[in-house]
Amino acid sequence: MKRTYTALLFLLALLVSGLRAQEITFTAAVDRTSVATGDPIKLTLTLTNAPMNSGITPPDMGGLVVVQGPYDQSSFSNVNGRMSSSVARVYVLQATQPGTFTIGAATARIGQGTIKTEPIRITVAKAENSGPSSSMLDQGQKRDANLFCTISLSKSKAYVGEQVVATYTLYSRYSSIESSEYDMPKLDGFWAEEIDLGEPGFNSTATVNGIGYRVAVLKKQVLFPQRSGVLRLAPMTLNFRVNRSFFNNGQAVRITSNSAELTVMDLPPKPADHIGAVGDLKMEVVVANNTVKANEAIDITVKFSGRANLKLVDAPKLAFPSDFETYDPKINDRISVNAGGMSGSREFQYLVIPRHEGDYTIPPLTYSYFDPAKGRYEQLTSEALQFTILQGDGDPAVVQRPSRTDVKVLDQDIRYIRTGDLGLAPKDDHLFGSWAYIAGMGAPVLAFIGFIGWNNKRRRLLGDTQAMRRRGADRVAKQRLKEAASALKADDRTGFYTALGRSLEGYFADRFNLGVAQVNAQTINEKLGHLEGGELAKQYAGLIADCEMARFAPFENKPRQQCYEEASSLIHRIEDQP
Amino acid sequence: MRISLLLLFLLSMRPAKAGTPEMLQTAQEAYAKGEYAQALAAYDSLDQHATSASLLFNIGNCHMKLGELPKAILYYERAIRLQPGADDIQSNLDFARSKVVDRVNELPALTLGSVWDRMRGGKDVDQWARRSLWAMLITVLLASLAVAISRSAIRRALIPLAAIFLLITVVSVFLAGYRVAEVTDRSQAVIMAPKVDVRGEPRDGSTTVFVLHEGTKVSVLSEQNGWSEIKLSSGSVGWTAPGSLEII
Repeated sequence: MKRTYTALLFLLALLVSGLRAQEITFTAAVDRTSVATGDPIKLTLTLTNAPMNSGITPPDMGGLVVVQGPYDQSSFSNVNGRMSSSVARVYVLQATQPGTFTIGAATARIGQGTIKTEPIRITVAKAENSGPSSSMLDQGQKRDANLFCTISLSKSKAYVGEQVVATYTLYSRYSSIESSEYDMPKLDGFWAEEIDLGEPGFNSTATVNGIGYRVAVLKKQVLFPQRSGVLRLAPMTLNFRVNRSFFNNGQAVRITSNSAELTVMDLPPKPADHIGAVGDLKMEVVVANNTVKANEAIDITVKFSGRANLKLVDAPKLAFPSDFETYDPKINDRISVNAGGMSGSREFQYLVIPRHEGDYTIPPLTYSYFDPAKGRYEQLTSEALQFTILQGDGDPAVVQRPSRTDVKVLDQDIRYIRTGDLGLAPKDDHLFGSWAYIAGMGAPVLAFIGFIGWNNKRRRLLGDTQAMRRRGADRVAKQRLKEAASALKADDRTGFYTALGRSLEGYFADRFNLGVAQVNAQTINEKLGHLEGGELAKQYAGLIADCEMARFAPFENKPRQQCYEEASSLIHRIEDQP
Repeated sequence: MRISLLLLFLLSMRPAKAGTPEMLQTAQEAYAKGEYAQALAAYDSLDQHATSASLLFNIGNCHMKLGELPKAILYYERAIRLQPGADDIQSNLDFARSKVVDRVNELPALTLGSVWDRMRGGKDVDQWARRSLWAMLITVLLASLAVAISRSAIRRALIPLAAIFLLITVVSVFLAGYRVAEVTDRSQAVIMAPKVDVRGEPRDGSTTVFVLHEGTKVSVLSEQNGWSEIKLSSGSVGWTAPGSLEII
């Protein structure tokens, strides 16, 4: 009884979930949106939970060619009691020429209404011409006319890092062929990216020297040579079993391809701003916000797009002033690999945090890549970046000030040249040792010697005390006897003797510090008695007495001239005494 | 005395070659714009006629900027010899030397540091010669005064003063002679070639004793057939081929 109840509940649950699953969706999807000409594109239109009688109208393929399909697949699922049904219609498309194609909207009719899918854009690049050359085919045919394979490269010469497409192709005349073992060549010196070919198979036919073959592209690779020189791809070896049927075990066939060679040229010397890319690039620099507050983040995106070895592009350096903090970038890749090579875009998203307010102009970012078509480096330049950094948030009183740090030495450089007058002087023309120098040193010495000589002479004259005293005594006598001399000349007898006597008394008084009244025979004898055995004193006193007498007496003992000379001689003799 | 004063005056006047200020201006502007080759050409043409520590320093800077390390070192060495103790020259020389491959132990110079160097070097090579002339003149004047004046108090003060100036004269003459000898010294050289095999004998093919690289400073002991016998400060001696070094 209990079991029946449980079964009923289960059925009910199924019904409820079935009712709930009636959401109808119609989608269109492609396995890739970026292809090269000749690459297959798989378009899948999926209609879910639609009634059985719904009709799908195929979309406008927009110039793409349907090479296979449509195939219908239907599925029905019940996951955790949730039932769903879906119908998928698959087309395999191919582009014959490069460009951008749009797959239009597909329409599904459900009951009275219709439902549409979104259109899809497909970018088609030009495929590298990577098919085998006719000589390769000839040689392959010679090896085995029924089954052969080739390795072909899109170029025979390339620069390091330039992309080259390698194609591995199988040509067969057998109707039944099974592969057993692949031996793909080792890629020495290359970095390889596989190209998605979709389902491999004998998709085309070819005629070589009048013989028809079914052709299968086994594999396609984009190769990036990593070093210069002649790089060689060893032949590939394939093992097949052919003509196998129910009754026949078939026949084992082992085939070997040709080997391929690529001459790789080195890149010219790299400029400093080289980012490692070889190919054809465009750059786009997007700054999310030019005006921020200090310590807030700025988003800067540097996007490189084009056809190049994008996966090897290094993060470009941002030449920002040191008061911007830059962090390692986040890398966003939108890279596709197809028969046209590697293309798409690589984006470096930088987080930059300004630490100080102000207006900053960052010089244009420049990065260069190598363009193999032109054979030289090309430079990508952005606009100059302008930033206005406002004062950061926070109460200035409590704001966390950056701790004081030492001045950072970013790089070392030599000190700047000296400017202005450089004080140029003739070479090896030194003052020391020159004639001018010797003269300059000698002249003062000679002058000094001359001066000493002159001074000595003068000193000698000064030093002769006898002569000096005599000269002095002359002067004194002349001065003292001036009045007497004038009276002598005037022939004034009384005046002469008065003056002469007064002069002798005065001189004696002055010479020995006495009053004129004290001058008498006694004091004269006292002062001069020791000289010339008393003769001088006697004569001096005698002459004074003679003068006294001659003033009043009518006669003279000696002529006046003799008296004058005697007086002068006496003064001389006294003066000459030390 | 009047003649020696006149001589001093004449010596302090330096003949400037016509066009020199313009040339200096050209070189300075070219350097400022980063056109180091043009600046170097202008400075070099000036160096043909006259020189100075500043000019040699500027030439060294041009060579440094052009990446010619050994030439830069050569000119810095010449500049520092004309103006010992100059900050900027020493700093650039040290920077250039740091890029030299060979680490040869520089003998510590027999100096009392840069203050002494600056004093010893003076403004130019002739500084001490000029000073000695002045000191001589003052000595003679003081001595003459001392002789002439008979008042004993002044005389007693003048005689030691004259003696001090005589001492200054002697020291200045010594320094002036030392500076000239230093500046005219031709026994130092800088290795110019990127790599030089220093050989045991002055001929090609003889044993390589050691290897030197550009920018290293060596002493030159003798010359023979263009080969130079060199000595490192570490004491190693050997011969270098012609043209591998240049005398400072």
